[in-house]
Amino acid sequence: MIKKINFSSLLSQLLLLFFVIIWITPTFGLFISSLRDKDLLAISGWWTSLTTTHVNEIYRMSGKEEQIEENGYFIIKGNFFNNVEGKKIQSFGISSKRINQFKIGETGIFKDKSEVNIFENGDYIWKSLNKFEKKKGKRIFTTSLSPPKFTFDNYKEVLFKEGIGQAFINTLAVAIPSTLIPLIICSFFAYALSWMQFFGRDTLLAIVIASLVVPLQMSLIPILTIYNDIGALFGVAAKSYPGVWMAHTGFGLASTTFLLRNFIKSLPNEMMEAARVDGATHYDIFLRIILPLSIPAFASIFILQFLWVWNDLLVGLVFLDQVPSEIILTAKLKELLGSRGENWEILTTGAFVSMTVPLLIFFLLQRYFIRGLVAGSVKG
Amino acid sequence: MIKTIKLFLASAIAILFFNSSAFAGGHYTGPDLSGQKVTMFGPWLAPEDATMREVMDIFSKATGAEVEYGGSDSFEQQVMIDLKAGSAADLVVFPQPGLAANAAAMGGLAPMGNDIKQLVLDNYAAGQSWVDLSTYADENGNDQFYAIFFRTNVKSLVWYSPDNFEDNGYEIPGTMEELIALTEQMASDGNTPWCIGLGSGAATGWPATDWMEDIMLRTHPPSVYDDWVSNDMPFNDPKVLEAMDFFGSFALNDNYVNGGSKAVATTDFRDAPNGLFTSPSECMMHRQASFIPAFFPEGLEAGVDYDFFYFPAFSTKDLGTPVLGAGTVVAATNDNQATVEFMKFLMHPEPHEHWMAKGGFLTPHKGVDGSKYASDTFRKLGEILTGATTFRFDASDLMPGAIGAGSFWTGMVDYTNGKSAKDVADSIQASWDAIK
Amino acid sequence: MSIVSLFLIVCLGILIFIAYFHISNFILDHFVNNKSKKFSHETSIRAVIFIAPAFIVLFIFILYPVFETVRLSFYDKFGRDFVGLYNYIWAFKDPEFRRGILNNLGWLLVVPTLSTFFGLVIAKLADKIWWGTFAKSIIFMPMAISFVGAGVIWKFIYEYRGPGDVQIGLLNAIIVFFGFEPQAWITIPIWNNLFLMAIMIWIQTGLALVIFSAALRGIPKEMLEAARIDGASEFRIFFSIIIPYLEQTILVIWTIITILVLKIFDIIFAMTNGEWQTEVLANLMYDWMFRGGGDSGRGSVLAIVIMLGVIPIMIWNIHKHREEQKI
Repeated sequence: MIKKINFSSLLSQLLLLFFVIIWITPTFGLFISSLRDKDLLAISGWWTSLTTTHVNEIYRMSGKEEQIEENGYFIIKGNFFNNVEGKKIQSFGISSKRINQFKIGETGIFKDKSEVNIFENGDYIWKSLNKFEKKKGKRIFTTSLSPPKFTFDNYKEVLFKEGIGQAFINTLAVAIPSTLIPLIICSFFAYALSWMQFFGRDTLLAIVIASLVVPLQMSLIPILTIYNDIGALFGVAAKSYPGVWMAHTGFGLASTTFLLRNFIKSLPNEMMEAARVDGATHYDIFLRIILPLSIPAFASIFILQFLWVWNDLLVGLVFLDQVPSEIILTAKLKELLGSRGENWEILTTGAFVSMTVPLLIFFLLQRYFIRGLVAGSVKG
Repeated sequence: MIKTIKLFLASAIAILFFNSSAFAGGHYTGPDLSGQKVTMFGPWLAPEDATMREVMDIFSKATGAEVEYGGSDSFEQQVMIDLKAGSAADLVVFPQPGLAANAAAMGGLAPMGNDIKQLVLDNYAAGQSWVDLSTYADENGNDQFYAIFFRTNVKSLVWYSPDNFEDNGYEIPGTMEELIALTEQMASDGNTPWCIGLGSGAATGWPATDWMEDIMLRTHPPSVYDDWVSNDMPFNDPKVLEAMDFFGSFALNDNYVNGGSKAVATTDFRDAPNGLFTSPSECMMHRQASFIPAFFPEGLEAGVDYDFFYFPAFSTKDLGTPVLGAGTVVAATNDNQATVEFMKFLMHPEPHEHWMAKGGFLTPHKGVDGSKYASDTFRKLGEILTGATTFRFDASDLMPGAIGAGSFWTGMVDYTNGKSAKDVADSIQASWDAIK
Repeated sequence: MSIVSLFLIVCLGILIFIAYFHISNFILDHFVNNKSKKFSHETSIRAVIFIAPAFIVLFIFILYPVFETVRLSFYDKFGRDFVGLYNYIWAFKDPEFRRGILNNLGWLLVVPTLSTFFGLVIAKLADKIWWGTFAKSIIFMPMAISFVGAGVIWKFIYEYRGPGDVQIGLLNAIIVFFGFEPQAWITIPIWNNLFLMAIMIWIQTGLALVIFSAALRGIPKEMLEAARIDGASEFRIFFSIIIPYLEQTILVIWTIITILVLKIFDIIFAMTNGEWQTEVLANLMYDWMFRGGGDSGRGSVLAIVIMLGVIPIMIWNIHKHREEQKI
C-alpha cells in the first residue's frame, strides 16, 4: 500500500516537473539569450551557450596606407579582433569558395603572389614583393572558436540607444493613473450598486455585466473622434496621456466594478446598519468602514488592472502618438519586431525589459493577484 | 496619372547627375515659428527615423518650432485610425501614393496652395510629373494638389558582392537570359543564387510585388503594365500569371533561394541581404531598391564590399531597358502656418542634401549639390537611369490601398507558400471587384 | 516631456478624481446639515454623485461605441451613405471572413478546453507536493507577460533557418536533432493555428490553475477519504468525484477563456498578421477598419459578429448572476 502511494506520488512529481519544464523553457531561453553576445546569439541556440561555438567570419585586411617596407617586402600588419582576446582562429581561407583552406601556421598565397599568415589571436601579416596599390585589402575568411560569452551590452544598447528606457517611463506614466482612476471611481460605483437604493439599480448592474464582453476594437474610432472634437475645442492634442488614462478606465471599468461589487456586497450588512443608525452618511460609511476593509480587494484589483494596462498594445497604439516621448513598451517592442526582424539580441532583451515590472509585481504580490482572480471567478 | 509620369525619372535623374552644378542651396532660413509644433508620422523606423529626425531638427533650429517624428511598422493601419478620427500628425509620410490618394478621398488631407505647387514645378526635374503624382481627388471628387515627393528610389537593381563574383569567376549579366543562365550556373556550382525576403511586419509581401512589377515591364509592353495598374486588364489575366510564375521560377526553387522557398516569406526584407556578406556566403544576389544599403551590416563600403547591377531585360523581347521607380510622399493634414512652412522647407535643398550624405537617398531636386552623395555608387544609378528606355512608377503603390497595400501583398505571400498563380490572381481580382 | 512634468501630470490626474468625490460629498453634507436633518433627497443625490463618473465613462467608452458600430455597419466605407445590408451580405460571401470564422471556432474549441484541462491536471498534481507552490508560480508566470512579449518568446521558439544551417529556434533544433527536416512552423496552413494557440494555452493555463487550486481546497475531505476507504484509485477519484464537484468552476473558467479567445487579436497581430490562413475575426476587423484606406462599414460588421458570438455567454452570465441574487 505504502509503496503504491510512493510510486504514484513519484509519478505525479515527475509529471508536474515535466509541465514546469515545458512552461519555463520559453521564458528561460529568452532570458539566457538576452545575456549572450549578439554575434553568438545569431549563430547558435541558447541551449549551447555554455559551450564553445564555431564562428565563421569575414575580415578585410588594411589597404595600401598601412604598408611598410621591410627587407625588400611590402608588409601590411594588423589584428582582426582589434586585440580583444577570447576568440581563437582555427583555420582560414582567402576565397569564398574554400573558407577553411589553410590551418593556422600555413601560408595563404593570393593570385598576385602576395602571401598571408594568420595567427590564432587574430594577428595577420600580409606581404608582397610588389607595392600594394589598392585602398582596401583582401578578404580573409576565418573559422574560430569562441568561448561562451555573456554580457550586459544588450541591455545597455536596448535601454539607452533603442529608446526602451524612455518607453519604460512612458509606460509607467500610462499605467499608474490608468490603474488608480478606475479603482477610485469604481469603488464608489460598486458601493452604490451594493448598498444604495435607487431606481434602475439592477438594470445598471446588468449593463455592467454585459459590458464585460464588448470587444474594445469597436470603441477605437468613435472614441478617438470624440477626443479629437474635444481637442479641437480646447486647442489641445487629441492624443495625450489623460486620454489614454480615460480609455483604459473605460475599458477596465466593467471588470473592476464587477469584482469590487462582489467584494463590497459580501461585507456584513450589520456594520452598515449600525453606522446608519448613528447618523453616518453613505460617504462616511464608505470612508470609515468600506475603504479599510477593502484594502486587500483593492490590492488584487490594482494588480490585475495594472498588469492589463502594462501589457496592453492596442490602446497605447491608438490613443498615443508613436513618438519617443509617448510610445509605450509593447508598441516599442512591436516596432522592434518589425524593424529589427532577426536582431534577436535587441528583441529578446527588449522583451525581457518589458517583462520586468509585471514579473516583479507578480512575484512580490502573487498572493493578492491570485486572490483577485479567484474572487472574481469562483464567487462570480 | 500613369501616362504622365513616363518620363519623370529619366529627366529628373539626368539633370540630377549631370547638371548638378556647384550651386549649393545654402542654409534654410524660415520665419520665426517659436511656440508652434510640427509632428510627422511615417513608416521609417530605425535607422532611417534618426535621419528624418535630424532633418526635422534643421527646421527646428531655423524656425524655433518644436518638431516630432513618430514611426510605426503597421503604418498603413495606424494612419487610417488617425485620419478617420481626425487626430493624425500634421504631416504624414506615405510610402505609397495610392494610400495618400485614399487618405485624400476620405477628406483626411489638406490641399496645398499654388505656391507650394509652383515650388515643385520649379525645383523638381520633370516637375509636372511629380505634381500629377501628388494630385488626388478629394472627398467631393475634385482633383487637388496635396503632397511633395521626398526621397525617391530606383527598384530595378541587383545587389551583389564583387569579391564573391570574382572568387567564382562570375560575370555581371547584361541580359535576362544571361541572368537566368548565371542563376543556373551558381546553383550547379553549389552556391545559392538569390536571397529573397518578404517579411516586413504588417506590410509583409511587398518585396515580391516589386519583383512582379519589374518582370511585368520585362515581359510585356508598358501599355500592358498601365492597364494592369488601372485594372483595365484584370489581375488574373494570363500575362500577369506568366509574370508571377516567372518570379516563382526563382523564388519557389529550393536550390535558387537561401533557406529554400519556405524561408522566402518568413525572412525579413531587412535581413535578407545579409546573406551576401556571410561566411560562407548564403547567396550571391539580392534584387532590391536603392534604399537597401541602409540595412546592410555595419562597416561595409559601397563599391568595395557591395555593388549593384541593373536587373536586366530580355534580349529577345523588344522592350528596351525598363526601370521601375518609387518614392515616399509627404502630405499635410492641416494648413497651419508651421505645417505649410515645413512643406516649403522640404522643397529647400538642405534637407535633401542632409539625407543624401547619409546614403540611400535619391532626389529629383535640381538645386542639390551632387557631391553631397554618400558614394559614387549612387552616382552610378544615374547611368542605369539614363540608359533606360521605359520608366514606370511602382504598380502596387499606385493601385488602391486595399489591393496595393493589401491583397497584392498577402497574395504574394500565399504564392510563395505554394498557392498556384491562378488562385492567387483570382483572389486578388476578387478583392479588387469587391471595392469597385 | 521631462520626467518631472510627467510625474506632476500623473499626480494631478489622480488627484482630480479624489477631489471630485471629496468636494462634492462635502458640499452635500454641508447642504444637508444646514437645511434639516430630514433632507429627503440626500440619498438620491449622493447616489448620483457616486455613480455619475463611472456611468459617464461607461456610456462614452462602451455603450456609445456599440451603438455607433451598429449604425456604421449599415453605411458605406466612409460612413456617409446608407447601404442597408450590403456589408453583411458581403461578409458572408467573403472567403477571408469564412476563414476567420473557422479559425475562431478552432480557437474556441482548442484553447479553452486545453487550458482548462491542463490547469485542472496541474492543480491536482501540485496539490499535495511540497514544491507545488513553486510549480504553480512557474506555470502562472506567463499570465504576467504581455501578448507581444509572448509573441517574441514564441517567435524565437518557432524560428526557422534553412536545412543545413544551425537552427537557433528550439523547436527546429529538436526536430533536426531527431533527423527531420526543419519547418517554417508558422507558415504551414491549418497546423500553424495550433502553434499560435499553443501560445494562448501557455498563457491561460495559469489562470485556470490558480482558480482550480482554490476550488480544490473547497472539496470536503470526508468525501475523498470515504472514496479512498472504498478502494477507489486516485484516477477514479479525479474523474468521478473531483470533476463533478468542480463543475461550476470549470464552467466559469471555460467562460472567461472563451471570451478572451473570441477577442483574440494581439497574438495574431504580432506573429502572422493573419497571413498563411491564420486570420481571426478581430484581426480581420482591424484590417478592414484600417488597412488600405479602411472600410468602417465592413469593419463594423465584423465587430458585430464578434459581439454576437459573445452574447450567449453574456446572457448566461447575467442569468447566473440573477439566480445568485435570489438565493
